[in-house]
Amino acid sequence: MSGVEIGLLAVAVLLLLILIGMPIGVAMLAVSFGGVSFIRNEGVAFRMAGSVARDSLQEYLFAVVPLFVLMGLLVTISGVGKDTFDVFQSALRRVRAGLGMATVGANAVFASITGISIASASVFSRVAVPEMVRHGYQKGFATGVVAGSSVLGMLIPPSLLMIVYAVQAEESVGRMFLSGIGPGILLSVLFALTIYLMARFRPQMVFAEVKQAADLPGLGLAETLRKGAPILALMGLVLGGLYGGFLNPTEAGAAGAAGALVIAILRRSLGQGRLWHILVETGQITVSVLFLVMAATFFSRMLAMSGLPAALGDVLLSGPVGPWGFLILYLAVVILLGCIIDSISIMLILLPIAIPVAQAAGFDMIWFGVMTVVAVEIGLLTPPFGLSVFTIKSAMNDPDLKVGTIFRGTMPFVLAMLAALVILAIFPAISTWLARL
Amino acid sequence: AQENIDLTIASSHPTAIPWVGMMQTHFMAETDRLLAETGTYKITWNEAFGGALYKANATLSSVEEGVTDIGWVFSLLEGAELPLSQVSSYAPFATNNPPVQLAVMQELIDTVPELKAEWEGHNLVVLGLTGTDSYDLYAKKPIASLADLNGMKISAPGVLGTWLSGTGANPVDGSLTTYYTDIQTGVSDGVLSLALGVFPAKIYEVAPYVTKVQMGTAFSGAIAINKDSWDALPAEVQEAMKKAGAYYTEAHGKDLLERPVAVMQKIVEAGATQTPPVAVADLPQDQREAWVNVLPDLAGTWAKDMDAKGLPGSTVMNAYMAGLKARGESPIRDWKAE
Amino acid sequence: MTGPSGAALQEGPVGRVLAKAGDGLAAVSTLLIAVLMLIICADAVARNTMGASLPLVSELGAALLVAIVYLALATTVRANRLARTDMVLGALARSRPRVAAVLSAVYDLVGAAMLALVGWAGVLTLAREYQGDLYIGIQGVLTFPSWPFGLAFVLGLGVAVLQFLYQAWAALRQGQARTGGGLE
Ligand code: NA
Ligand code: NA
Repeated sequence: MSGVEIGLLAVAVLLLLILIGMPIGVAMLAVSFGGVSFIRNEGVAFRMAGSVARDSLQEYLFAVVPLFVLMGLLVTISGVGKDTFDVFQSALRRVRAGLGMATVGANAVFASITGISIASASVFSRVAVPEMVRHGYQKGFATGVVAGSSVLGMLIPPSLLMIVYAVQAEESVGRMFLSGIGPGILLSVLFALTIYLMARFRPQMVFAEVKQAADLPGLGLAETLRKGAPILALMGLVLGGLYGGFLNPTEAGAAGAAGALVIAILRRSLGQGRLWHILVETGQITVSVLFLVMAATFFSRMLAMSGLPAALGDVLLSGPVGPWGFLILYLAVVILLGCIIDSISIMLILLPIAIPVAQAAGFDMIWFGVMTVVAVEIGLLTPPFGLSVFTIKSAMNDPDLKVGTIFRGTMPFVLAMLAALVILAIFPAISTWLARL
Repeated sequence: AQENIDLTIASSHPTAIPWVGMMQTHFMAETDRLLAETGTYKITWNEAFGGALYKANATLSSVEEGVTDIGWVFSLLEGAELPLSQVSSYAPFATNNPPVQLAVMQELIDTVPELKAEWEGHNLVVLGLTGTDSYDLYAKKPIASLADLNGMKISAPGVLGTWLSGTGANPVDGSLTTYYTDIQTGVSDGVLSLALGVFPAKIYEVAPYVTKVQMGTAFSGAIAINKDSWDALPAEVQEAMKKAGAYYTEAHGKDLLERPVAVMQKIVEAGATQTPPVAVADLPQDQREAWVNVLPDLAGTWAKDMDAKGLPGSTVMNAYMAGLKARGESPIRDWKAE
Repeated sequence: MTGPSGAALQEGPVGRVLAKAGDGLAAVSTLLIAVLMLIICADAVARNTMGASLPLVSELGAALLVAIVYLALATTVRANRLARTDMVLGALARSRPRVAAVLSAVYDLVGAAMLALVGWAGVLTLAREYQGDLYIGIQGVLTFPSWPFGLAFVLGLGVAVLQFLYQAWAALRQGQARTGGGLE
């Protein structure tokens, strides 16, 4: 059997194992181990498993994962999240499905303080979902909004994916960051529009019970200030720290967590062992996410070893397809790979093949990067392996909430992202004008 | 009939990095060329460049463990595993001549058994060597003298931080992917880096004042092949790879002399229209001397630390400096171990 | 925090000992998260007041993160929070509970096998780290021995392997698949 055939078989076996309910990380480890054993031998597979388990996670940037999770939990338990949504709800109370849109807006703002989407997903699943459910929204819709808008975390700067792309394509990190702002706003608007259209024409998909939010009294100015102050202080700390030149992104995570801790202490929210409980929760969410990242890294390395990605590239990118045909095929491959492996792994596997072709096709490489990042992020939302969805499931810890329910809830937002890709393809200036100023 | 040999060749960095790209254009191509002369063997390369198989934090273990057959080992990040190979990092300002430096390192690997063992003990065979271009200062403001450095925050991770000791500048942690944002936002005021790294990362946009300090080049690693893979190769292929490795080292060293000049020109051109535009200035020789002489005894301390671990640190340091001088280099500080 | 069948797994002397061991390691992991937050904050404060980074923070932070993940692995496994889909297994648990139980035990055994492989590789690395005095950081600046991180890695994986084995045994004995709770 050739390496490519082993790679194809491994993908098929992985999909089967995931479908019949084996823990995904375990399935990836097992399939990757088997794959490398066949491609090379058991000894290499054994040593590769041992080193990938440590070196794939030994990354200072990943330290933001527990820190932002911790910040999210503290923000939640101290009631800051609920207060924030009271403010948003008040502001948008006359708008149909206003809280859904408020979630998108809050996510867009939060995206400017986090560089990874799973952080957004874990924070807003704690903050926004209970609020939306309390206000009569469907659980599936509420988690779908959070999963969908969590992708803004890696589109609006700072962004881990933009850094990965910038390094591979030899583009400026600063420029790549700027290039995400326009598309981030576009996507936020498309998400809000999606929510509006759903609430208008398919209300049964949005609301579990009809609560006329507009009848609720709005918050007074004093109340709005009291409820809005803590989150503003936190964002001031993180954003001010970042853009004032005091903090790098990982430090902003730590400062945010520390600031959230101070707020929780001031609000006396941490008694009766709740701080310990939060720290334990932080550990478990971090593990369930990073264990997947580790296993996914092993899987992508096994695939790279099999030669499957390169063979796919040859088949798809050579031949008489032309630049636009190449782009469509490339994005399709990115989205398909997104079903089974994680964002960074997709970029690591595909970009070395795609970048030279894109350059030969004469594409603007900043625009190409934005297209790549948006397409890669669709994978956060698509089954069977959707990291944002799993993060929400893990952070919610609600036995009644099925993963399938969340995946169904994200589908409208996947469609919105596909629409965004089309718009970004037709109007490259949305991505490039700020970056090329 | 021609016999086919499958080999995986990999790197943590993309082929856009010159010495990684030269693995294709020089090492692989020269091996293929030599083998084609007899036509007995043909290598089918499975290329996994750009971090597909492992990241920068596992370049040594991945070749050692056979994750790839051949790979670029980034020795600068392997201080604990390849301690003696760090010698050039503890003798800054010693040379700005990569071909000479690589030749001296090759000689040391061939003649100091402990240095050779430090590589071969990791189950690999060294084929070719790699180095850096010269470290210079890229900053937000012009640096005319050593005194201008006082109080500045300079991105200089790891051992580079020691190259600032005594200058009054404070080292700030970071990496090539973080420098741009760090300088832009004020986390640091500039960076000690290489033209070959600054240009693709566009750091000159935020740090337009280029001061050519010529702090010296560093030995950065090797193209190496897993020993088990090596032993399985026919003698003719081994011979071809040895030759291709030597050819690679020579071509790469030469490339490190020429390419940074061209790249610095590109930096000037690319940064000509920004405000403020890129301005390149040499640090005056007396200020370079002042800089290197204000540094603590980096070489002596390192050698003593190595000796204390039972490694021939003093021997390697003195042989390194002697090797440079024997090839016509005149280091402005005569680093030595007692 | 634990699903319906997860709770049952703490019963019996073996289950209780494993729960204690897993929670003990998770407590260390938890403290390390606090340490991580503190050293990163300290670095930011130092740079903004004294102008220089503290040495070793990024290397130490990266190594700490690995320890944090593996020390809390066993308790995460016990809490049934590893990501998976429940469409087929959940349905099977209702219609053919014995089949589902066997399947569930097989998953746990595969988990045990994979983590045991990784853990054994970790033991070999740990031996090298300890005997070779390997360190993280930079000679001449600041170094920190790497064996404590290797030890955390091995201990975390060891307890997680035992936890998986125990769960496989419990699923077969109770004739009940592990569904519900965690990521379904
Ligand atoms: Na962001
Ligand atoms: Na997906």
